[in-house]
Amino acid sequence: MSRTVRLGAGMAFWGDSVRPAIEMVERGDIDYLCCDHLAELTMSILAKQRARNSSLGYTRDILDLLRGALPTCVEKGIKVVTNSGGANPRAAAEGVVALCKELGVSGVRVAVVTGDDIETDIDDLIGQGVDFANLDTGEPLSTVRDRLTHAAVYTGCEGIVEALRQGADIVICGRVTDIALYLGPLIHEFGWATDDWERLGMATVVAHAIECGGQATGGLYAGDWAGVDGLENLGYPIAEVAEDGTAVLTKTPASGGRVDVGTVSEQLVYEILDPANYLTADVTADFTGVTLEEVGLDRVRITGGTGKPAPQTLKVNMGYRAGFVGEAQFTYTWPDAWQKAQRGITFLKKRLERAGFEYTDEIIEYLGQTSMWGSRVPEPRDPDIPEIVVRYAARCPDQEQARKVFTESVALYNNGPAGVAGVGTRPPLKELYAIWPCLIPREHVRQSVELLEV
Amino acid sequence: MRVVDIAHGRSGDKGDTCNVGLVAWDDEGYRILRREVTEERVAAHFGDLVKGTVTRYEMPGIKALNFVLTRALDGGGTLSLRSDHLGKVMYAWLLRMEIEGPG
Repeated sequence: MSRTVRLGAGMAFWGDSVRPAIEMVERGDIDYLCCDHLAELTMSILAKQRARNSSLGYTRDILDLLRGALPTCVEKGIKVVTNSGGANPRAAAEGVVALCKELGVSGVRVAVVTGDDIETDIDDLIGQGVDFANLDTGEPLSTVRDRLTHAAVYTGCEGIVEALRQGADIVICGRVTDIALYLGPLIHEFGWATDDWERLGMATVVAHAIECGGQATGGLYAGDWAGVDGLENLGYPIAEVAEDGTAVLTKTPASGGRVDVGTVSEQLVYEILDPANYLTADVTADFTGVTLEEVGLDRVRITGGTGKPAPQTLKVNMGYRAGFVGEAQFTYTWPDAWQKAQRGITFLKKRLERAGFEYTDEIIEYLGQTSMWGSRVPEPRDPDIPEIVVRYAARCPDQEQARKVFTESVALYNNGPAGVAGVGTRPPLKELYAIWPCLIPREHVRQSVELLEV
Repeated sequence: MRVVDIAHGRSGDKGDTCNVGLVAWDDEGYRILRREVTEERVAAHFGDLVKGTVTRYEMPGIKALNFVLTRALDGGGTLSLRSDHLGKVMYAWLLRMEIEGPG
């Protein structure tokens, strides 16, 4: 039987449950545990934490995960590859080293992969001719330069491969692509050339199928959702990858969920654009020829993916502060729920106007009716309707303006029409971060690896 | 009939772009999807929820169509005021679309 490398998807986002990863290292017979902790918004939040305290700025769930998984990983030789370093990979690695000491685990090599964070290099790079124009709108970076929270390049797997070559057991990265967490171990194990586009493309399809954890194994399943057992104990996906990049997808034994053509198909179409040109830092993958075949219970063979050369530019996501959300919610009841809700909305808007409210955009949703599909759904005007929940939200330039929304809504309790409830207590203000997507020629980006030993 | 009678789906976000993937349950369903669920009809079905363009891509090996909707999330996941700021249930609106059956 030909050799396979078994990659497990341990985390899908910051705050995801760590239990599936812990169960996977105990029962899943994996070689690598690959954990994605970062979404577009995450980096802005982490950068803000780092600005307040230089020992923060990474997703601390990596410590919760390793507290449960590390002893087993050490015992079985399972390596962990993660982008939980976020805006501060070095601090994450130091946290992991401290945890190892606390757990009495020794002989662990923790690698820090950096090179994605270009925030302090922006002026230099502009000087070298990188314009960082907005990829969607073409606007120049100067539009938002003074409001930037971070600037991170979606970097590839080169640093992970180097860290593994140096013998790392735990590889902590910042903003590497989700795909790189999987390609790195495969290139290291199989010795694939970094321009072996067919294999890298196929392996990218495999990585994409499992990188969102439980979404490949019956979580978020729109198909036969009622037929999926054990969602409370969902097993996360494992790819048994062969040397040609194809794989059999499965999940942790004796766990909930399901791996079949339906669950995997849905995940293959998740968050992709043109399937013939799935851009990553390492390869341009082609999903169009992908096929799936059920080869056993909870076992799906995935083949037919391929690839083309990696793009000459890498994606950069910069974050910038974009104000605050002011939000209020209240419920009106029968009789005349619709008319009373309208009166309540008018009340709120007139009070806000009197308070000198400043905002750029606003939205009114009727929860239970129009909050998901807006104007595509009729307004809740049925005269016999028992209740209408109104949600009002506005984008405001600062906290002072945003705070007015709740403040002016509270008076609905005793100054507005009867039949109101659920105004609630003052919600925490949500700061908005916008993403500035742009490009950087890849020759300007260099990853580096540092090894810490416990 | 509706799209939900022949397909399932999933949706998500990339900035202010939302993609909706539809997966047919069988070959006949895929044939109907390709015939019925056109870019024009999808654009009309989403109406003002999508302020940009609708582009359709095909993945025949898994009987899937992928629709890429631009300017579809009120500024994108990090900025949107919508309750569904990540476009997680946009797929379900497309599953509701009325289509012509076999024939």
